[in-house]
Amino acid sequence: MKIGEKKKEVVINLLSLVGFVLLWQIILILTREGIFSIPFIRLRDIPTPVETWHALIGSMFTRIYGPSLTYGIYNHVFASLERVIEGGIIAFIIGVPVGIGVGYSRIIGNIFNPIIEIVRNMPPMAWIPIAIFIFVSGGSIFIVFIGVVFPIILNTIQGVRSTDERLLDAARTLGASESKIVTKVIIPSAFPSIMTGLRIGLGVGWMAIVAAEMVIRSPVGLGYFIWNMGDLGRYSEMIAGMIVIGVIGYIMNISILLLQRRFIKWED
Amino acid sequence: MGRLVLESVTKKFNSFQALENVSFEVADGEFVCLLGPSGCGKTTVLRLAAGLEAPMGGNLLLDGNKIEGVNKECGFVFQEYALFPWRTVKENIEFGPQAKGLNKNECDRISKHYIDLVGLNGFENHYPKELSGGMKQRVGIARAYANNPKLLLMDEPFGALDAQTRNLMQGELLRIWEKEHISVLFVTHSVDEAVFLGDKVVVMSARPGKVKEIFDVKLPRPRIRTSLEANIIRDKVLKSLGMEIKLAMKDQ
Repeated sequence: MKIGEKKKEVVINLLSLVGFVLLWQIILILTREGIFSIPFIRLRDIPTPVETWHALIGSMFTRIYGPSLTYGIYNHVFASLERVIEGGIIAFIIGVPVGIGVGYSRIIGNIFNPIIEIVRNMPPMAWIPIAIFIFVSGGSIFIVFIGVVFPIILNTIQGVRSTDERLLDAARTLGASESKIVTKVIIPSAFPSIMTGLRIGLGVGWMAIVAAEMVIRSPVGLGYFIWNMGDLGRYSEMIAGMIVIGVIGYIMNISILLLQRRFIKWED
Repeated sequence: MGRLVLESVTKKFNSFQALENVSFEVADGEFVCLLGPSGCGKTTVLRLAAGLEAPMGGNLLLDGNKIEGVNKECGFVFQEYALFPWRTVKENIEFGPQAKGLNKNECDRISKHYIDLVGLNGFENHYPKELSGGMKQRVGIARAYANNPKLLLMDEPFGALDAQTRNLMQGELLRIWEKEHISVLFVTHSVDEAVFLGDKVVVMSARPGKVKEIFDVKLPRPRIRTSLEANIIRDKVLKSLGMEIKLAMKDQ
């Protein structure tokens, strides 16, 4: 793609965002003036973009009101990110070897597949009740783990199985032992798929953490924050928190894509 | 050393008779071209010689030893190069030496020698995707040679190249072969290529794959592609093959 075209696309993307915000503002003004309404929806309770912006700035940092302390969005972001990263690392450490084993060996595949096929269809949210029961702490990290581990396992399996037959033949005729074939051919060949699994998994994990924090009621975390703000009727802060969740998910996705491009220079 | 002998080799895939009673020999240091219509089992012969497949009947011997399991004394050069895309030129060539457990200095020395030999100086740290087809196959040849094989098995190595590059690479291959004299079994579907390269041309017929005729090409090298002698041999091979192609087409 030419640089000029790329620039044009970025401009269109930005305009679309600006347009959406404008539309949001206009609809709310019309609603509050009584000109526009939709039956069964309390549109007037929705904050305007300007109110949301002020709420975002106002609740960014921790404040102390007399004896009580309110955590800032900044703290909530880090608390949630920490859980996602911890759950993600555990999922990576377990998911990649399992995926390689299942993808490489029929026997290992037959052992693990029934469990994987059933458990992967239980959404991370379905694990929240049991997580509350059995984990003294770190229940939400476990929920993230459930969300991240299956995309990693499935993409790793797929990556291992799509290793080019000819590369395996080449390695064999070059005298590679079976263990060398796994470490020197199958794993590097599956690496881009593993990264894709990690990227998709962290996306799922990020959604799961918000749900988990709402239910598990940790004192910090974005899920807790928006639930709590909703409870208190502070909708501007709640919407600000939702936007932060979306933006951070987007940044995570893009960062892994960029890392992937940076480190996998050999890919077409 | 590097004498490959095939004794009445038979191979079936399910009910499909791929090879029937295939017998011929690649003498030590000889360059043999295997020619035949598509589907006649040329590639199967190579895969058997490499030990990537096992025959159903007959024997394959390398220097008198039966080939069982992957034959680590042969180098395989693939049509679509089959380079490891995540390895640079140098790292691709060092794959064999590393798999053997040679130390870094030795690997360096070997890769340097073969990079020089195939003329890829300056491209050591390039990835395969950054190379042209001809250069990729130079890496493929260097990688096969780097393992110090007794026998080089080449599966239509220049089939994906354009005509000019192809001629150039044929010359290069002969230059390398004359320096590092090992036996070569070269599969091709081009009569020109077979007669230009081979000491011997083995013509196969299809369904089932059999050896139809073997031609000795006793022309001195460097050969002239357009010489009268070359044309005479080419004509004979073409006739032998031509009938085969007709038969194979009828079958389809």
